[in-house]
Parts: sequence; structure tokens; C-alpha cells
Amino acid sequence: MTLVGTSARRADGEDKVRGAARYGMDYLEHGTLVAKVLRSTVPAARITGLDCSKAASMPGVRAVATAADAPGLSGLMIVKDQSLFATDVIRYVGEPLAAVAADTAEQAEAALAAIDVSLEPLEPVLDLEQSLAEGSRLIHPDWESYETAMPGTRGGNLAWESRVERGDVDAAFDRAHLVVEDEFRTQRQHQSPIEPHVAVARYEQGRYVVHTPTQFPFNVRGRIAELLGIRISDVRVIVPPIGGGFGGKLDVMVEPFACILTRKTGRPVRILNSRSEELATCGPRENAIVRLRTAVAADGTLLAQDGEVIADNGANSSGETVLVANVAPLVLGGTYRIPNARYASKVVYTNTPPTAAFRGVNGPYCVYAQEQHLDRIARELGMDRRTLRMNNLIRAGESMVNGQQLDDAFLTQAMDKVDEIRPWQDAHTERKPFRGVAVVPLTWITNPLPAAASIKLEEDGTATVTCAGAEIGTGAVTTGVLQIVAEQLGLRLEDVRVSPTDTDTGGYDGGAQGSRTTYGMGNAALDAATKVRDQVLDVAATMLEAGSDDLEIADGTVRVTGVPDQHVAVASVVATAMFDSGPIGASGKFATPPIPFDSGCMAGAAVTSFAAPLYQAHMAEVEVDPETGRVTVLRYVVAQDVGRAINPQMIEGQIQGGVLQGIGYALFENLRLGDNGEVIDDDLESYRLPTAADAPPIDAAILENPCSYGPLGAKGAAEPPIIPVAAVIGCAVSDAIGTTMKELPLTPFSVLQAMTEDQD
Amino acid sequence: MSHSFTLNGQPVDVTVAGMTSLLSVLRDQFGLLGAKLGCGEGRCGACTVLVDGEPVDSCIYPVANAEGAAVRTVEGLESDGEPLTRIQDALLEHGGVQCGACIPGVVMTLTALLETESRIDDSTVRSSLSGNICRCTGYQKIIDAAQAAANANGGPQ
Repeated sequence: MTLVGTSARRADGEDKVRGAARYGMDYLEHGTLVAKVLRSTVPAARITGLDCSKAASMPGVRAVATAADAPGLSGLMIVKDQSLFATDVIRYVGEPLAAVAADTAEQAEAALAAIDVSLEPLEPVLDLEQSLAEGSRLIHPDWESYETAMPGTRGGNLAWESRVERGDVDAAFDRAHLVVEDEFRTQRQHQSPIEPHVAVARYEQGRYVVHTPTQFPFNVRGRIAELLGIRISDVRVIVPPIGGGFGGKLDVMVEPFACILTRKTGRPVRILNSRSEELATCGPRENAIVRLRTAVAADGTLLAQDGEVIADNGANSSGETVLVANVAPLVLGGTYRIPNARYASKVVYTNTPPTAAFRGVNGPYCVYAQEQHLDRIARELGMDRRTLRMNNLIRAGESMVNGQQLDDAFLTQAMDKVDEIRPWQDAHTERKPFRGVAVVPLTWITNPLPAAASIKLEEDGTATVTCAGAEIGTGAVTTGVLQIVAEQLGLRLEDVRVSPTDTDTGGYDGGAQGSRTTYGMGNAALDAATKVRDQVLDVAATMLEAGSDDLEIADGTVRVTGVPDQHVAVASVVATAMFDSGPIGASGKFATPPIPFDSGCMAGAAVTSFAAPLYQAHMAEVEVDPETGRVTVLRYVVAQDVGRAINPQMIEGQIQGGVLQGIGYALFENLRLGDNGEVIDDDLESYRLPTAADAPPIDAAILENPCSYGPLGAKGAAEPPIIPVAAVIGCAVSDAIGTTMKELPLTPFSVLQAMTEDQD
Repeated sequence: MSHSFTLNGQPVDVTVAGMTSLLSVLRDQFGLLGAKLGCGEGRCGACTVLVDGEPVDSCIYPVANAEGAAVRTVEGLESDGEPLTRIQDALLEHGGVQCGACIPGVVMTLTALLETESRIDDSTVRSSLSGNICRCTGYQKIIDAAQAAANANGGPQ
């Protein structure tokens, strides 16, 4: 029986197609109150008064929460600069000021309107460069007092800086044949899953029980505790089926309000974001400026690169932007040999809604900049753009910018596979006016965080996996991990189940992020399954009077290898074990092994290396309408190394979905900010998401280049397909119109403008 | 105000304001939680149900408009004793379901398409899905599923 490598149907699929799956947004409890949050309408102000007395006495109002109820300072792991409610100072439009629990939504809304807020306006700081400029007003005047999880360069409106430096950059520039310099600017992109943020909390036996569709239950648990100033273990997070996340549900968002209000009222409290609140307040991918200066030899060899990435943190570090700041240097210096490099990744405060994790953190805009920049270098040298890339690609055994040796580098193979599907030469010879082509290779990370799982065998011979891995929708928990377990235990897939995600029952897990579930949870579950298998074989060996080495398990039956009539059902083994060695079950765990890198070359780096690195190449052919500037993606090719494909169909689904999210980012998704730093695009009419009409034909090739410490060789698969998309489409557009596009998204207006400027 | 219609074949009667959305009637009065409140703006299509065979965004569809109509939701789909309808089965077979929050709406849109169109190809499926946003899949596997289900229907492909 071979389950691993097959496109098994997802175990939670029937409920989903029947409409029977109960998502976070469907979860209700009896007697639940409705919570609403009062949010700031100004970007910067001193709070001189907040009077909730009238609101508190209104009909149906059960409790009002304010800053006094949430004394803690928190932040996503690195800088603790976030309070749940604005205390003395407002720092962005949308910042919470108070929250109300009432019998109905209308009563809660009415109460919010009755809260009296007095403000003294402050000068808002909205622009990245303005924020860093000398004499700019400090958004966090007390920045020095904030706790940080590690040392790093900070100061003024610079929330965090990560630096990487290798070799002698200045000397390399001195001897360069060519120096090219570019600046790129990119926009905010919103995750916009179908299911908004929602939570139901109740206070029970002195603890907070929170039902929330989060990607990272243990993070939400810890962040609630930190913001409320309570013990971590006094919070229990239970995760119903998740209606999409893409990074947007990694962090705490609405849960703490429900917790405070349930404690105050003694009633369950539910809070559900409107679509407008989602877009306006739930951290998007950060806007950024990327500046690159590169020294090149006459033959196109990259000699040195000096790069600066300035990313918008928004008003505080509640999102992942600071935590992953060092991903920018690693991705800039992870695909090509750049022997001398100096990168600074700066995360900057502004009076705008905080930014956060979106699939491919830091990656898409850094890759966009790097690849447009390389295409310019190729054009200046008169070199073929693919050849320039092939000549500079990191080969197996060579090192990334952090000194990490990529023993399994598979970039040339990925490029070759793409070329096999759509030869670069053919794409060029078949070229028509206003058509462009580009190809982009990329090294990326698998999130290395730890995982735990336990498995028990039931009296009927089936198996139950218990873990706190969150099923975000990829199928990694409900199918991929189960395929690994079923194969290891010799059970049918339908005889292995996973219990609901709950921080009280599952061991620590690093969340559904960075493609880590199949890798991390897969490893932990495989560890547990191996132990369970050993227990089964030990007991069966006695029952069958055979050596356990001579046994095999398949279809729920233990057999003596080569003696088909000597067998016993797993259920019988479970029953025998019960009063012999005890019930069969085991726990498994996983931590990513240490990855050697050069620690001396980095400062302020929370992410220091690329665990279970994976390799891919994307190619696109586009057509630009010279009249309208509209870009059409004619053809798209992906070759992606996944280590080992546990479920190929699900991986294809991740590739297709990731590429379309990337196309949205490349061509039209743009969460714009207005003159007050407020989100303008606060509905799905103006923030347009890709539809079926936007999806181009995609050829996807899955490559298997096993990771020595991945489960059965698997590495991450789900996150990376979004990352090179804007780059490959941007480069193809630049190729089509003969002008380097310096900004995203590539709207008809910006493309037309670039074409017009080019003619001038 | 009282409103009468059939819901998944059964006559029903609800007393709510006429402008109450059909979605909130389905979810709050009848406990049918399959259709989702994705955006509440008639943009995402996660709330799609069929009114007299036509897909509508039930989040912005006043219940008064359903007066006398046949309303069908994902919970009411039946397939001659088979556990799933062809489109439901094909969506799973082709890997068209990821988080699944859009899927009840997608299932209803494609059910209407399969019931009304004699010729189904890539472009008819894409245009029928113009009002259903799926943020996960990139649509291709949903389109594959719809075409396969049409084939299984004895369609022209």
C-alpha cells in the first residue's frame, strides 16, 4: 500500500462541499453577547478624555472595556510596543479605543456612538522617508523603554533594522566593469480570506476559552496573555475549520476583546469583523522601498550588491514585519552568488494601520526589485537575461549571503525544467510586438518552528492523531499528515483521523505558516507513528509467535512477511495490548536541526537561515495592450522543488492559488492609504480580488529533491508559489514595453505612463 | 411582515422586515449555515443560493423578493441516493476545495450552470464563476471539476 505520493481526497472535504463544515464564523454558543470595537478616525492625537459612562448605561449594554482592562504591552515576538487599546496617544486610523458587549449588534453600535472621546490632534507621520527624516515627530517617543526579545538596531521612528554584510563590498565596486542602481516601490496587499476574523470567548473555571479560526493557536494564546497581563496557560484556544488565512490569521486580532468582555459579563462573547474592518485594520503585506546597487564584471558575473529595504511597519510591531525583517537580505542573497554584499532591512514606524504577514513575507517585493534590476543589468551588458541568471545561480554546495551552504541547491534543475516545458529560445523566436517574456529562479525557506503530535490506537484498530496543527485549508493536517501516519501504521487513510485543534490537548506547534505543517507536523506525527508501529509489532510478535522484524502491517492487518495466512488484525493487537503492555499510543516531536551559517555577518536577525530550503523557477509570457496599458498573462510555467510530494494534487492547488494571488499583487491589488493614513479600499468593490477570469493557464512541474530532515524527504510547498510572480510578470512587462517598471501594481495607468515616458 | 416561499422544497413562512437579507433569514431563522457571510456586500459570492434556479447573493437579497419563489441552498442538494451531487463529488475528486469557505456558493453557482447550460466549456464555467471569489485555489481545479461534472452529466464534452 502506498498512500504517500497519491492525490488522496481531503478528509474534511465532504463536510465542506455539503456546507456542513462549521467554520469560525459559524460557531455560536447559547446566550452569546455581541462585541463591537470603537476605532479611531484620526491617525495621530493625544487622548485627553474618554467617557464611557453614557454608553455603559444604554439598553442592552452589558460591559464596556477600555485601556485599563488590557495593561500589557505586546508585539509579534520581537518589539513589545503594542497595547490593545490606544492609551494616551492614538497612532493610526482604526486603532481600538474601547469595546462594548451588548445583547444585539445594534445596541453595541449605539453604545459605541455614545462614547465621548476628546482629542488633541498631533501631526501625522505617514510617509516612510518622511518618517526617517531628521526632526520627524516620533511616533513612539518611549521607544527605548519597550522590551525587545533580542538586540537590534532601533531608534526614533526606525522600529528595527536587520543587517547582513559579507566580503569587501566597496573594493568590489571599485573594480566593477558596470555599476547599476535602481529604486523600486511596492504597495500594500491584503490577505482577504473569505472568512473574516471572528472569535467566541467564555470565561470558565478561571480560564479563557477562545474559539477562533487562527493559523497559529499558540501565538494567539501567548499574545492574548501578554496583552491582558495574564498567564499563558490561563488561555485555551480551540480552532474550528478556518476559512482562509494567507498569513492574516497568524496573529491575535479580535480575540482579546472577547476575552475581556466575557470576563466582565460572565457571558460568552462573540466578535466578528465586518469586511470593512478586515481591510482597514487587519495587517496587510507591507508597502516597501527597495534600493539596489550592483557591481558587475564585463562577462555578467555579479561582483557585489549594496541593498536597502525600507518596509512600513505601520503604527506598531503587532504584525510580523519586524520579526521577518532579515528575510529581505536572505532572499536578496539566496538565489545568486553575490560574493560581496551589504544589505540593510529597515522597518519604519508610520501613523498607518500596522502591517503584518502575508504569504511569502518580504519576498515578493524583494524578488520583484532584484529581478527587474538583473534584467536591466542584462540589457546594459547586451546579455541574454536567462543566461545572466544561469551564470550566477547558486549551485549545490555553494553558499547564500548568510554563509549557509546550500548542499541540495536545485535552481539550475528548476530552470531547466521550465525550459523543457517552454523553451526560452522558442518564446523569443515566437515573440510579437508588445509581448514579453521573463524567467525567475528563487530559493525560499520552510518555516523551521517546532511541532508535536500524539497518536493513539482505538479499540476498533483505527488511529487518532492529536495535535495543535491548524488546518488552514491546504489539507496539510487533515490529509497530508494523515497520509504519512496511515502509511507508517499500515492503516487505510479513512481509518486515521485527527482530533480538533486545541491548545489544551495538542503540544506546541509553530502554526500554519511558511509551508511548515507537512514538514514540521509531518515529522512529529511520523515520529509518533513510528513509536506506535513499534508497539503494535511488539505485541503482534508475541501473538503471532514471530520476530517483530518479520512482520508487516497493511490494510489494518499485521502479517508475517511471506506467510500470508499468519496474520492478526490491528484491532486484536490493540485489545491484547490493553491488558498486556497497556493501551497503544505515543507522542512525537520535531525541532529543525541546527543549520550552520556565518553568525558574524548578521545583526538584528531573528530569521538567520533558510531551513529546509526549496527551489523553484517561474516563467511568464505577457501581452500589453498598447492602447489601454492592460496586461494579459498568456502563459505561466512553474517548476517547484517540494522535496517529496506527499499529495501532488494538493501541491498543484497551492501552486495555482499562489500564482493567482501573485498575479493580483502584480497587476491590481493595492490597499491604498488616504491623506490621513486611512485605508481607502475598505470594500471588495474597490479592493478587487482575482476572479476566474484573471487566472491564466499554468503548467506546473513538481520536482522531488529530498530534504534530509524532512518527513520522507518533504520540505515546504504551499507558501512559495506567490513569491516570484510579480517579478516574473513585471520583468515580462518591462520586456514587452522596453522600459523597466519601477513600481507595483502594474495597472493599465502605470504601464501606459511608462510607455509614454519612454517615448519622450 | 410575513414572507412565504419554498426552502429546499418545503413551504416556509417567516415574519421579518422585508428588507432583511435572505442570508440572515437562512442562517438565523432556519439554522442553515452553509451559505456564508463573506463580505456582506454582494461581492464575494460565498452566500450564493438559488432563487427559482438563479444564483443570487443572498447577503444583499431582500427576503421580500423571495416571496413565492423556490429557494435552494447547499443543504438541499440531492443526487438520487448518491452521497454527493456530481459537482460536489467532482470538486473533491479534482482538488477544487481548499479552505472551502467559498465552496457552498461555488457549488450553488455551478449547480445552476449544470442545470441550465447544454454546452459547458472553460469559458462558460469562468463566466459563471465571475461572482464567486475563491482566494485559495486559483480556480483552475474548480473549473476542471465543473467540466468533469458536465461530462458525467452526459454533456457535449
